[in-house]
Amino acid sequence: MATQTNNDDRIALLQGTLDLLILKTLLLGPCHGQGVARSIQRQSEDVFLVDHGSLYVALQRLEDKKWIQARWGVSDNNRKARFYSLTAKGREQLTEKTGEWRRLTRAMGLILDAAAEEA
Amino acid sequence: MLKRKRSADDFAEEIKAHLALEVDELESEGLPRDRAHTEARREFGNVRLAQERFYMKDRWMALDRLLRDLRFGLRSLVASPGFAATAILTLALGIGANTAVFSVMNAVLLKSLPVTDPERLVRLRTSNAPQGTGTIDSNQTLSYPVYEALRHQSGAMSAIVAYVPLSTSKVAVRYGAQPEEAEGDMASGAFFSSLGVNLPLGRGFTEDDETRHSSIAVISYNYWTRRFARNPAVLGTTLYVNAVPITIVGVAAQGFEGVDAGGSTDFWIPLQNRRELNAWGNPPDDGKLYKADPTWWCLQLIGRLAPGASKTQALAQLQSTFQHAAFIGLGGKPMEGEKPPVLSLVDAKGLPGMDMQYANPLHILMAMVALVLLIALANVVMLLLARNAGRQREFSLKLALGASRAELLRQLLTESLILVTAGGALAWAFAELATRLLGQWAQIESSLSPDRTVLLFTLGVLGVAGLLFGLAPMRVALSGGAEMVLKTSAATSNADAGKSRMGRVVVALQMTMCLALLVGAGLLIRTLRNLENTPLGLQADELAVFSVKPNIPSLPEGRIFYSSLIDKLRVLPGVESVSVSEERLGGWWSDNSNMLVDGRLPEVANGASLTVRSNVAGADFFKTLGVPVLSGRDFADSDTAAAPHVGIINEEFAKRFLPNRNPLGHTIGTDDGRWSMSVIGVVKDHKYRSIDEEPIPMAWYEYAQIPMVGPMTVEMRVHGDPLAILPAARKAVQQIDPNLPLIQPMTQRAQFETTISHQILFARLAGFFGFLAVVLVATGLYGTLAYRVSMRTAEIGVRMAVGARRGQVVWMILKDSLVLTVCGILLGVPLAMLVGRALASSLYGVMPLDLVSYLLAVAGVAAVALVASAVPANRAASVDPMRALRTE
Repeated sequence: MATQTNNDDRIALLQGTLDLLILKTLLLGPCHGQGVARSIQRQSEDVFLVDHGSLYVALQRLEDKKWIQARWGVSDNNRKARFYSLTAKGREQLTEKTGEWRRLTRAMGLILDAAAEEA
Repeated sequence: MLKRKRSADDFAEEIKAHLALEVDELESEGLPRDRAHTEARREFGNVRLAQERFYMKDRWMALDRLLRDLRFGLRSLVASPGFAATAILTLALGIGANTAVFSVMNAVLLKSLPVTDPERLVRLRTSNAPQGTGTIDSNQTLSYPVYEALRHQSGAMSAIVAYVPLSTSKVAVRYGAQPEEAEGDMASGAFFSSLGVNLPLGRGFTEDDETRHSSIAVISYNYWTRRFARNPAVLGTTLYVNAVPITIVGVAAQGFEGVDAGGSTDFWIPLQNRRELNAWGNPPDDGKLYKADPTWWCLQLIGRLAPGASKTQALAQLQSTFQHAAFIGLGGKPMEGEKPPVLSLVDAKGLPGMDMQYANPLHILMAMVALVLLIALANVVMLLLARNAGRQREFSLKLALGASRAELLRQLLTESLILVTAGGALAWAFAELATRLLGQWAQIESSLSPDRTVLLFTLGVLGVAGLLFGLAPMRVALSGGAEMVLKTSAATSNADAGKSRMGRVVVALQMTMCLALLVGAGLLIRTLRNLENTPLGLQADELAVFSVKPNIPSLPEGRIFYSSLIDKLRVLPGVESVSVSEERLGGWWSDNSNMLVDGRLPEVANGASLTVRSNVAGADFFKTLGVPVLSGRDFADSDTAAAPHVGIINEEFAKRFLPNRNPLGHTIGTDDGRWSMSVIGVVKDHKYRSIDEEPIPMAWYEYAQIPMVGPMTVEMRVHGDPLAILPAARKAVQQIDPNLPLIQPMTQRAQFETTISHQILFARLAGFFGFLAVVLVATGLYGTLAYRVSMRTAEIGVRMAVGARRGQVVWMILKDSLVLTVCGILLGVPLAMLVGRALASSLYGVMPLDLVSYLLAVAGVAAVALVASAVPANRAASVDPMRALRTE
């Protein structure tokens, strides 16, 4: 199975990054928890290991902060599921966090690349 | 809008949905259905763990936040330890004192008897006792014939029971070998059943026990615990009461220590009919015991109203029976011109007599506590206002840095809560101590503890006040908003607080109350000093006193008992002289009656009272007491039963009834004309019943000459410590009768001091409250002034920079508090006059408008104000102008 073969290459998510990934995923439209997990795994080309327990706690946390909202609905294949969608506040946060993340990775990149050149 | 919390079930549902979706997806990817199931589960990981995390998330966050708030609150309080300590102590003292006084007042005045339906119980009282009778209390005690007549009246009263102590103090008991003393009552057969007192062990009395005078006893729970270590085997054992064997058959419910709730009865026996167990421990009068003596009104009666009956109905039924029964054995009807006694019923809750004696002092104490509480409350408010007003910039800064309003609110609430909790805990400890002290004062021996409701109530009041005022700065901080920190300086942002009019009013009012308390305390302390320095008229030092209650089968044997006891005691080493008397000096008791002088009732000027206090004494009585004999002689051993009857009077007797005559040789006697004696001596007036009494006419009979002998008090004049003679005296007594304990052995001085013990405690408490008020006012004043000065640091800096001198700055600050002090004193004097008027009846040798007390109180308040202002004023003047300006 795909998920098992490249087990060693998978990275546990950094604290806080999961929130950002969830927000990004939901930007495409309302989705249930299982769909979010699948989507993150697929889009990261199976690099990220999404712990499902953490995912649901994170969803709950975002909901408490009113960045996302949830309601029960029916999936494409007629299953009952809880659908999450972005709020206006969540959209704002996504922009802000994405900016932060870009600055962080850029700074990290600068340092690491410089170090690589010196080495 | 309130968001409904998401349930754990809903979350579980979501996980189930997740698994189902995953299975669907895996299946569509080509996995067989059962593989897909296991795979989805494996993929998800630990479902239970996920649910647990969901469940705990909010809780952990709340706990974590609480801990953080507490830590922060503590840190911020520790940062200003002076404020924290003052606030906590203020709360503790205010709440503690209030609780203690209220608890005692509750026990004395308000608490009901520990019985079933206490509000249906009534005490039977009479307007007076018929002429020719003797009473214990002219309103509260009734005779046995009255009891007999009333108890058979059924109807509005479902039961009437009688009880009477076996002694005026304690009675001799023996359990095993050692003689000891205990408080015992005789009571009706229906006593326990009609009061509704439970007996957790054994049985109570029956009507049959009363009729047959059964030798059985019920002991109190307290006595059972104290003396018998709650041993259930106590039932069936024998207790010797005045050497009469009595079998213990029951233990009364916990908390029941008699109907006189201030007392502490140790055991009850059914009404008896034998000379060793006469009412009040008296010897038979004319050979008659209490049951056969219609002239001795010595029983207390208590009744239970029948269901539905009112006091008025019951009274209507009983009145005529009572008025008839009152004269049984007294000629059947009132004498000419005599008003017949009138029966009345009063609620039985609360303590008889106690309310009269202690109500006034307790009310005054309560008022004092209220004042202290107000001062304490004002202090806490001032402290909080001052502290938090000074923190407005801190709050604005926090808001500016992104703290939410809710977070600020939580922080303030937590700080107030810490203060109130710590203050409350200390207050409890203080209340425990103070309640015990107060209980001792009121001589309430039954178990007393601080009243939880009162404590919580007071704590609640101060707590709510603390919270409200603790939050007051929030409003200012929020209205100022985050920008305030940017555009204002300390000088402008705090200007309002510095000029706070409310602060000034509170400080002035505190001084008003402080002045009133100090005047009250001063008056009471001067009263106490007067009492303590009152000459007794006798030499109370080196004088030991104890009582004995021998079993006396006949008059001659009684006389022999005492003469041999005196002989034995006289020869003990260190003893100077020994004498006996019937009533103990300084014991609150006195035997009052009218006396004939030269065969008729004396005529007195200005309608002065005819009442004479009498006592029975032995040889060398006045020599032993150290009372000077002004003319004639003391009683002597030669005054035997066979010798001519002799009596001794005091100066007051001679002055009132035999004015301008030589009293020696005149005949005086009882008002029924059956006993007379000739005056052989006149002694100087001295204190008799208590320290604060005025002299009244007194007469002494010789004990060996009168036809009655019972328990006596022995007075021993010794060299050195009076208490050191007691073991030898005990040995001498027990050589004659091994059953006899020494009853209430003590020094004569200690005996007299018991008569002012509640004045002593009252004065001490008042002094304590005065001191407390001063301390509270001083801390409050200091805190407020120090705060006001600190608010004006910038202003002072500017003034000094432009040339103000040190003295001017100090004066500026002092003037401020002097104005407040003068206002406080001007308001305080009228309040103090009210206090003085309320205290008038408790004063001795001091006028309510005592100038010294007022001057001292004014000086005290002024001194406190001066000291409390001088320190901050001085600090203000030491401000370096440059630094003061740079703080901006």
